[in-house]
Amino acid sequence: MTAAPALALRDIRKSFGGVHALDGATLVVDRGSVHGLVGQNGAGKSTLIRILAGIHHADAGVIEIDGVEQPSLSPSKSERVGIHFIHQDRLLAPTLTVAEALLLGHEPRWSYTPFINRQRLEAQARLALRKTFDIDLPPRALVRDLSNAEQQIVQITRALLNPPKILVFDEPTTALVRREAEFLFQAIRRLRAEGLTVLYISHYLSEIGNLCDEVTVLRNGRDVARVDARSTPTTRLVSLMIDRSVEQLFPTRAPRFGEIGLEVEGLTLDGAFRDVSFRARKGEILGVTGLVGSGAKALARTLFGLSQPTSGAIRVSGAAMRAKSPRAAVASKIAFVPEDRRRHGIALGLSVRENATLASLERFRRFGFVTRRRETAAVDSLIARLSIRTPDAETPVRALSGGNQQKVALAKWLIKGSEVIVLDEPTVGVDVGAKAEIYREIADLAAGGAVLILVSSDLMEIEGLADRALVFFRGRIAANVETAQLNQDRLLTLVTTGRIPRDDHVEAAE
Amino acid sequence: MSKPPNRRGLATALRLGAYLAFAGIVVAFALAAPGFLNPVNLLNVLQQSAILALLAFGLTVVVIGGGGDVVTGGIDLSVAANLGLSAAIYATTIQKGYPDALAIAACLASGVAVGAVNALAVTVLRIVPLLATLAVAKIVSGLEFVLTQNSVVTASSPFLSWLADNGPLAVPVMAYALILTTLIAWPVAQATPYGLRLQAVGAHREAARAAGLPVKAYVAASYMVSGLFSALAGVLSAAYLTGSSPGSADILLSVVVAALLGVVFSPRLTPTIGGAALAVLFIGLLNNGFQLVNISSYWVSGVEGALILFVVACTPSQREALS
Repeated sequence: MTAAPALALRDIRKSFGGVHALDGATLVVDRGSVHGLVGQNGAGKSTLIRILAGIHHADAGVIEIDGVEQPSLSPSKSERVGIHFIHQDRLLAPTLTVAEALLLGHEPRWSYTPFINRQRLEAQARLALRKTFDIDLPPRALVRDLSNAEQQIVQITRALLNPPKILVFDEPTTALVRREAEFLFQAIRRLRAEGLTVLYISHYLSEIGNLCDEVTVLRNGRDVARVDARSTPTTRLVSLMIDRSVEQLFPTRAPRFGEIGLEVEGLTLDGAFRDVSFRARKGEILGVTGLVGSGAKALARTLFGLSQPTSGAIRVSGAAMRAKSPRAAVASKIAFVPEDRRRHGIALGLSVRENATLASLERFRRFGFVTRRRETAAVDSLIARLSIRTPDAETPVRALSGGNQQKVALAKWLIKGSEVIVLDEPTVGVDVGAKAEIYREIADLAAGGAVLILVSSDLMEIEGLADRALVFFRGRIAANVETAQLNQDRLLTLVTTGRIPRDDHVEAAE
Repeated sequence: MSKPPNRRGLATALRLGAYLAFAGIVVAFALAAPGFLNPVNLLNVLQQSAILALLAFGLTVVVIGGGGDVVTGGIDLSVAANLGLSAAIYATTIQKGYPDALAIAACLASGVAVGAVNALAVTVLRIVPLLATLAVAKIVSGLEFVLTQNSVVTASSPFLSWLADNGPLAVPVMAYALILTTLIAWPVAQATPYGLRLQAVGAHREAARAAGLPVKAYVAASYMVSGLFSALAGVLSAAYLTGSSPGSADILLSVVVAALLGVVFSPRLTPTIGGAALAVLFIGLLNNGFQLVNISSYWVSGVEGALILFVVACTPSQREALS
C-alpha cells in the first residue's frame, strides 16, 4: 500500500453569492515534495488556500491530512495539525523588534521569573536567521524599519522555528529581489531534503519549474492538470491556464486614432516602478497589466496624482501636468475610476444623480446654485445610455448591484468630458452581463476621442479590449505591444516571466 | 520596497523635542518660581500626580492592547467615572461603619467589574472602544449619582488618614504609592511575555492572531486591568478628599493627555508605562509651576487641550509609518 499523501483536497466546491469560485477542485500533495499551484486571477487559488487555512469553509469536498479526513478547519486548528502559512502580506507587528517578532509566543525567560531573557531572545533570533537565510539582521531593529523583503524573511524564519509538517507559501517572492528569492529557494530545498512538504503558489512560472516537483493547474475553479514541474515547459503551463471558452464579451471596434493624447516620460515612483515612458493616442485603449507589485497599479494611481512620482513628466494633449495631485489631474482632464469604488469612486449614501454630477457641478451651476432641471436631464440620458438598473435617479447608490455601482462611477467622468480616463480593474466583482456593458461603454468612450488607460490583471480583458498592451514586470515596462500581435499565451508568458516569448516579432519596449 | 530614510530621524526628533520641552519647563519654572525646585514642593507634585498616574497607567494598558489609532484603537473613557464610583463606594462603605478591608475589596471588585463590562462591549459586542467606554462611563457616573445623591460623602478611617499623610522620610505615602506602582507596572508591561504579547496584539491584530495568541482575551484583560487601576485611584481619591465628591469626570482630559503624551516620551513611539509616568510628571509640574507663578490653573486646561491636538497631529505620520 502506498503512503497516504501529506495533503489532499478532493472535489472542493465553494460559491460566493451564487458565483462558483471553486467547482470541484482537487489538489493532492505528496509527502516530502514541493508542489506548485498555478492559475490565472480568479481561477480559485486564493479561495482554495483560504479553505485550507480555515478562513473559508468549503460547501462540499474532503480535506485529508496524512490520509486523515479533517471534518472542519479553523485558523488555529490548521496550525495545530501542522500546516503553516506564509502569506503574501507580511503579518508582523510593526513596533516589535526583529527578535521579539520572531519569538513572539515562545519568549525565553529568566529561570523562576516572569521576565523575558533578552540576551537569549536575541541570540536565538540571530541564530535562526543565520540558519535559515544566512543573513545578519540586527535583532533589535524594529520591524517597521525593515524593508519588505527583510520582513518577509523574518516571517518565513518564524514559520520554520518549530518545523511544521506542511508549509504553504502564497506568492512569497513578490516583495523579494532575486538574491533574496534565491535564499528562499535554497531554504525550501533544504527543508524538502529534511522531509518537509511544501505547497508553493506563485505567478512566476519560472520559479515553479525551478523549484517544484509537481504542479497543479487551476482554471475556472477546477484542477485541469497535475503534471511534472521540471519536464513540463512553461508554454504548456500557460496554455493549460488559459480559458478559451469565454468569448464574445467584447464589442467589435474599428478604432480611429487621433494625435497623441497622453505622453509619459521617464516616470519613476520609488519602490514601485522606474523610468516608465509611453504614449497613447486619442481614441486608443491602452491596456496596462502585470503581476501584483509589478508597478501597473501604481502607475494608475500616479497618473491621477494619488502617488507623487519621484521624477518624470506627464503630458495631456501636449500640456504638462504640473502639480501632481488629483485636483491637478482633474484640471488636466484626467479621470480615474478606482478599483475600490467604495473608497474612492462613489459616495454610497448619495443618489445616482448626485454621484454622477459630483465631479462636474460647475457645468450645472447658475449664480452659484445647481440648476436641477439641466442636471436631471443629463443624468437621465446617462442612465439610459449606460443602462444603469436603478428605479430612478434619486435612488441611493448603496441600493444598486456592484456592476451598476461601477457604471455610476463611470458616469461621473462621462459627464465631465475627460480626455484621459484611467480605469483600475473596472470589472472586478462584476457579473458577466454588467461586464459586457462596461466593455461597450469603454469602447464608446474611446470612439468619442478619449484616451483610455485600462489597468487590469484580467488578461482576457487586456487582449480582448485594448489596442495596445503595456506589460509591467518587477517595476519596468517589459513590453509595449499591439494586442493584435498577441494572444493570451504570449501575454501570460510576458506577464509571468517578463520576457517576450521566442519566435515572436513583437515590438520591444524602448 | 524602499522606505523614507528619515522616518527614524523624525521619530528621534519628536522624542528629543519632548525631552527638551520637559527640561525647558523645569528650567523655566525653576527661574521664575523660587520654591519650585524645593524637595517639599517636588514631593507635593508627586503626591498630587498619583491619582492621575494610576488612571493614565490603566488607559495606557488599554491603548497598548487596542492599538494607537485615535478613532478605532483602544481607549477607555470610563476611567474617570470609574474612579468616581470607586471612591463613592469606598466612602459609603466606611460611612456605614464597615472596616477598611471590606471597603477596599468592594472598591476593587466594582472597578474590575466596570472593566469587565467594557471588555464585553468591545470584544463580544464589537462596539468601537471610543463609544463603548463612553457609554459605560455614562452608566457608571449614573450609578455614582444614585449612590451619593450627587452630594459629598465624607469618610475617615485609619487607612485613609495613613494614605493622605506623610510616610517615612517625610515623603507623602501617595508619592510612595506612585513610585511603587510605576516600579511594578513598568517591568510587567515592558519585560514580561504578557506585556510583549499585548503590544503585539495592539500593533497588528492579525499578526498576533497568526502567532496563535488569544487576541480577544488580551484585549479583554487590558480593560479589566484599566478598571483595577481606576479602583486603586478611587482609593487614593477617597483618602485625598477624605471621602467622595461629585466631579470626578473633570480629570478625564488630563488622563487622555497623559496617555497620549506618553507616546512621545517612549523610545519606539509607542504607549508605555514609563512614557505615561513621564507625561504625568510633565503635567503635574506644569500645573504646579503655574500655581507658583500665580497664573490661573484654568490655563492648564488650555495647555492640555493643545497637547492633545499636538500629539494626535503627530499620529497620522505614525499611522502612515506603520501601515
